[in-house]
Amino acid sequence: MRRSILHLTIILTLLLGLSLLASISWQWFVPGEWFKCPLQGIWCLPVFYLATTYNPELSNYTVNSPEAVTAIVWDYRGLDTLFETSVFYLALIAGIALARGASYKLPTGGELGLSKIVKTVSRLTLPMIITVGASIGLHGHLTPGGGFQGGATAAVAFMVAIVVFSIVFLVEHGVSKDRMLILRSIGLTGIGLTAVALFFAGLILGKNAYVFQNMAKPFAGLSFPWEVNSALISGTLWFFNLFEFLAVTAGFTIAFMLLAMSEAGSEEGVRHE
Amino acid sequence: MSEFIVNYLFSLTLFSLIFNFVLSIYGLFFKPHYIKKVIALTIFSDTINVFAIYVGYRRWINGINPRPPVLIKPPTPGAISEFINSAVDPLPQALVLTAVVIGLAVTLFLIFLGYQLYKHYHTLDMREIRRLRG
Repeated sequence: MRRSILHLTIILTLLLGLSLLASISWQWFVPGEWFKCPLQGIWCLPVFYLATTYNPELSNYTVNSPEAVTAIVWDYRGLDTLFETSVFYLALIAGIALARGASYKLPTGGELGLSKIVKTVSRLTLPMIITVGASIGLHGHLTPGGGFQGGATAAVAFMVAIVVFSIVFLVEHGVSKDRMLILRSIGLTGIGLTAVALFFAGLILGKNAYVFQNMAKPFAGLSFPWEVNSALISGTLWFFNLFEFLAVTAGFTIAFMLLAMSEAGSEEGVRHE
Repeated sequence: MSEFIVNYLFSLTLFSLIFNFVLSIYGLFFKPHYIKKVIALTIFSDTINVFAIYVGYRRWINGINPRPPVLIKPPTPGAISEFINSAVDPLPQALVLTAVVIGLAVTLFLIFLGYQLYKHYHTLDMREIRRLRG
């Protein structure tokens, strides 16, 4: 006990002292003015992102999204995010494959889940959690957030339901593993279709367009509608966020259900191997 | 004086991050339990992510404090130039968003792998699993 207090004191002294030294010599530690470009007259990358993310005057370069991070994630560096999404789903498929062989028997009999108080409160809060998740996901082009964060928030509702009501509750209300796989596939297909939509429109209309195009560029004149009824949807960003929200919610729910269900059939799984 | 306090708090954050980094490396290598290794790996990746966001931060100059890269005013030229002069770099944040998703995917895979390990060996102690090999 005394020893651990001594260790804590030494660690805290080291941290506070080194920070004092660093703050005296702060030029070398604190990130500086990145917007002073080394080459005059050339826009630096962050300045370019910040200046073009929502700028109607530069109509050939803008994304029409006030949120610069979402604009980078789904437009400037959209291919990165596409491959990141595929890595996530490959990991999920690997998880489903590793959880194979276990027979998924639902628990039966007796009182399932936690006490009546927790169940009542959860009945009230579960729709709210899903609503907040959808709001984060669908406002991703306006405020900090996006499809992935919203999906992760909404999947928490399903995890709470598994803990509080047991998995039988989810299956009775129509949330089964196969349906979630279908929902996840709908989300992934939507992402793929949104990515190639303008490319095929360009092929049909005989104009230049490329895969993952959002707004018109000087060499490719087609662009998604960025306003619907004077409400900003920022072209493809809204659709990407919607489909990513569906896919992430369903994917996480599959993972939680597999981890929760496996206990029932774990002995069977050992005999299979 | 206020600038000094800001710098001091900033350096404190930086050194705490480095300390966190060392602790997570220690946990990753020397803790024998599989779940503890996974937790240390999560702390490690989160520390790296905070480092990446730190690179995109900008200094307080003449009372202009850094803002998140979200334009909250109508896009007039004046509002946009004010936005450029006060917003932090959005690129590291976007890269961190990608890294967080990849980290989650890896963690999910490792947890399923741990489940499988437990089914085979009936333990998650890495020393035991090494001894049981073959």
